[in-house]
This record gives sequence, structure tokens and C-alpha cells, in this order.
Amino acid sequence: MSVQNTKASILIIDDEKGLRIGTQRLLEDEGHDVQTADCGEEGIRLGTSIEFDVAIIDLKMPDIDGLDVLKEIKSKFPNTICFIATAYASYDTAIESTRLGAFGYIPKPFTPEELIYQVEQGIKQRRLILEAERLKNEREANLLELASEKSRLNTIIKAISDGVLVINKNGELVYFNYAALRFLNNGNFKIGDTVIEKLPTEISEIIDKIIKKDKILLKTYSTQIEVLPNHELIIEAACTPVPNPDGTLAGVVIILSNITQFKRIELIKSQFVSMVAHEFKTPLAAVQGFINIILDDSLGLDREKQKEYLSRSTVRLKSLTDLVNDLLDISRMELKTKQREIEDVQISELIKNTLQFLEFEIKKKQIIVDTNIQENLPTIKADLNEIIRLLINLISNAVKYNKENGSIFIIAHQENNYVCLKIRDTGIGMKPEEKDHLFNEFYRAKNEKTRGISGTGLGLSIVKKIVESYYGKIEVESVFGFGTTFTIHLPINQN
Amino acid sequence: MALVAIIDDDPDILDASSLVLKSKGFNVITASNPNDGYKIVTENNPDLIILDVMMDEPDDGFFLAQKFRREKINTPILMYTSVSKAVGMDFNKNEMVPVDDFVEKPISPEELISKVEALLHKVKESR
Repeated sequence: MSVQNTKASILIIDDEKGLRIGTQRLLEDEGHDVQTADCGEEGIRLGTSIEFDVAIIDLKMPDIDGLDVLKEIKSKFPNTICFIATAYASYDTAIESTRLGAFGYIPKPFTPEELIYQVEQGIKQRRLILEAERLKNEREANLLELASEKSRLNTIIKAISDGVLVINKNGELVYFNYAALRFLNNGNFKIGDTVIEKLPTEISEIIDKIIKKDKILLKTYSTQIEVLPNHELIIEAACTPVPNPDGTLAGVVIILSNITQFKRIELIKSQFVSMVAHEFKTPLAAVQGFINIILDDSLGLDREKQKEYLSRSTVRLKSLTDLVNDLLDISRMELKTKQREIEDVQISELIKNTLQFLEFEIKKKQIIVDTNIQENLPTIKADLNEIIRLLINLISNAVKYNKENGSIFIIAHQENNYVCLKIRDTGIGMKPEEKDHLFNEFYRAKNEKTRGISGTGLGLSIVKKIVESYYGKIEVESVFGFGTTFTIHLPINQN
Repeated sequence: MALVAIIDDDPDILDASSLVLKSKGFNVITASNPNDGYKIVTENNPDLIILDVMMDEPDDGFFLAQKFRREKINTPILMYTSVSKAVGMDFNKNEMVPVDDFVEKPISPEELISKVEALLHKVKESR
């Protein structure tokens, strides 16, 4: 954009009327907006109320000196280009006016060409100043944005639960967040510290390796560290080299994650696998042992003994099959792979069916079963097969752990919004410490009275899973030697 | 003939082991938990103990062996280790386990007898 074609706003301050009006006309002819003031005071008023591109100020005015007017305007609008015009030009005033911020000095009298040339120079300067100003503001705005971006990033990194440490190639700490301090159990890190020695050896060894390597491999090196003993805090440190644009090493970023929970689950999993392996191996070892004995001709087992061992092997294999089925049930329940068919389930009906199903065992032990089931017991919404499973597990336990000629009492009634089911036996009962482990997988009370009773150790853990999946509650009371009572509450169908 | 005490909570293992040993002429007494095991050993002073490493608790057989040694009952012990590997108790013969030898379940009659005889022989030699 050329200056000549650009309209500027110009203020002329001069007490000499002829000159004032002549200059105004001249500049208006050039296409500029021109305002005039006939004295210093009016000049200051106009010059400080709006920002002119250019001001031409007469040095000698009756009321206020031109230099004072210049000073006032400049202090309000430093970017207004000011000229001092005077017939009394002197070296000193020239210097003083420049010092006060005047752009130029116009000696009177002046030719129109001289004036127009000077004014155009002034306008050019004004444009340059404004452009410079604009660029400066823009840059400052960018810097501000950058600063707020940085603080935003900072806030984000501070908020994440993973620890972050950045170390430069000299091993000095460049950045860290508080989670990093927490995980490293160390409160005295400072930016600029040489931290390698303060870090756990597992991490410092990796950093050392990265720093000393000639070539940067853009891969992450991980290690696991037990920060607090007894698996209380285990972290994983992932160290990644950060390259400069030219490919040299800038530093290392270390991300620390808390993996305690994963480790705990891993431990539980491997314990569970061990227990399953044990539960499998025990019957298998017994069966294999029997087979070895039967096959060993030197022992010369008679036909009767062979048959006995084979039938005992069958019992063990049956228990193994039960175990597999129970495990599959548990896994289906946990993975929720089995589609439930929820329907109205009438527990009183199912209790009768279960007792029929277990009739043989009940009669064999000559157990008396007494039921007290409320009439019109509300239904519950549940999967029929799961409730059957629950009743079979509980009632068969009541039979299995009962004494010969013992009794079983089954009570079912409504209690507020629940169906309450009580199954009480007069069996061998449990010791308090046995009761505590009752619902644990593979837990089976082992004492002088449970010998010879077989089970997978999963039945009650399945019962508990079923009850809890329906937001119910299971409780157990037991007196060692006298019997056990299971109480179950299942929410009734509210419709 | 030598008297062997077998302590194992699995009645099938007790029966099978007893049968094998009896067929070779050994006298056998059995117990199915650590307490009874301690009792039959102290009362009958057998020539050899066969002890399952895991009964009610994962390592109570091991503790019973320690108890015997603490009480200066130095009867040779043959330990059944059916699942020691599975539960992370992979005993090494050089470790401080106060037993004389190990037999891995399931029982092989041949191996059981040869280990029992070897151990009894060793004891006789050292006397």
C-alpha cells in the first residue's frame, strides 16, 4: 500500500490564521483529514483526545510553547508523528524538540512541496511504527499463548497419576512431577540436580546405558522396582531417550507407573493356578498309584483287591469331573459368558424338587428333613438353573456334613423385600477359624470329623457368587459338633 | 521286619502305600494328619517314616519333619512330594530340609520299595 494514496489524519496547531488555513487546504487537497487548533491549549485538547497520524505544531504560540504541546501529545500518543514548525529556528530548539520526540523540524516559511514531502515522510514513519507495534503485539500475544500452553501442559503432567522425570544428557534433572517424587520415595529432588545417583539403581543403570550409547535407539527400556517391601508399592519405570533434531541425545524421559495392583492380581492368579494344579494332581496321583499297583505283577493283587482299587479310582475320577464342572461354572459366572435366563422363580417349589433329587443320600444317612415354607411365598427374578445349583449345593452340604440320623430344617419366608431361606443341619459344625475361610475357593474344613467327606471345595464359593450376583446376602452360623445354619436373603420380584 | 509309619491325609495313598510295603513284608502303621502322625511315631518308634509334605496346610508335613528333628527323633524320613512343584516348594536335596529322601507321587511300587530299602540299608550301615 503506497503512502501517497493513503489518507492520514493530521492536526495543525498554529496561532497564525493564514498559515493554518493554507496548510489545511494544501493537505486536504492531498486527500488527508485535517483538523486545526488556533492555540496551544486547543492543540493539546485535540491532540490528546484522538490519536492523529501527524501533528504540525507551531513553536511560538501566545499561550503555550510548542514544545510543551509536543510533550503533552507525545506522552499521550507516542506514535503520533510531530513536526515543529517555526520561523525562529535555532539549533537548541531543534535538539530539544527532537529530544521530546519530534520527528522533524519545518522551517517557516516553507513551500508546499517541502511541506508535503515532510508530511509524507512522517506518514511513512508512522506506518512503520504502527507495523512494528503490530508485530510486537503479535509476538507478545504469541509468547503469552506459549506461556499459557506451557502452563497447561504443566498442569496436565502434574495431574496425571504416573510419575514423570526428564533428565538431560548430563544426568541433570530437567523436569519432574509430584507423582515421581511419591513413587521414588524421595522428597528432595530439585531441577538442575544431578539425580542419577539418587534414583533406584535399576533406573540409573538404564539411563547410564542410554547416555553412554553412541547411537540413539528410539526404544523404551522398562524395569520393575519394588519401592516398598512386601509388594506394597511396585512401580514400572519406562525410560525413553529423546533425540535432538540433529539426532544426538537430548535426554531421557522416565515414566513411572504404579503396577502394585497388577502384581497383586498376578500373584492371586498364580496362587489360584497352584491350587487348581494341586486339586487336580491329588486325585490323579491316587488313581495313578492304584493303576501302578494293579499293573505291578510282583505284588500279585487278587481280583477282589484289583476291583476295589478300580472302583476307588472311579470315585476319585468322579470328583475330578465334579471339580472341572465347578471350575467351569465359576469361570462362566466370572466371565459372564453364560446367558442368564431370568424368570420368576418360586423357591418353595425348587426346595421340594431338590429334596427329591437328594432323596437317596438323605435316606442313606437316615436324616429327617423338616420344612417350614411360607404359603404364597413371593417369587424372585432369577435364572432357574442358578437357584437350583444354589439349593443343591447348600442342601447336599447339609446332608454330607450331617450325622447319621441327623436332621435338616429348611425355613423359607418373606422378610421385607427379601425371600429369607434358612437351612439348618445338626451336623458336625465348624470351628470359628474354619468358618472364616468357608467361602474361599478350594477351602474345605479339615478336621477329625470331615475325613471321608468328599467335595471340590468350590461349592460354597459358587453359592456365594450366585447370591451376590442377585444382590442378596449369605450368612452362616455354626457350632462345632452341633451343626451349621446358612441364611440367605434374595430380593423378591417387586412387580 | 522293619516298621514303617506312613503319614498322609489321602486315604487312597495310605492304602496303596501300605499294600505295597506289606507285600514286601514290612510292618506298617498309618496316620492321616500331622497330630496323629506325631503320635504314632512317638508311640511306636518306627524304623522309617513316609511323610506327605502337604496335608491340612501346604507345608505341615515339612513342619512335622522339623519337629521330629528338633526333638531328636532321627528316624529316616522319606517325603512324598506330589505337588511341591506346583505350590512353589520345589525342594532341592541340598537345601536344609530335614528329610532323607523324596518320592514323587504318584507312587510307583518299585521306586517306593527301592527307596525304602535303600534308606533302611543306609541307616543299618551307619550304626
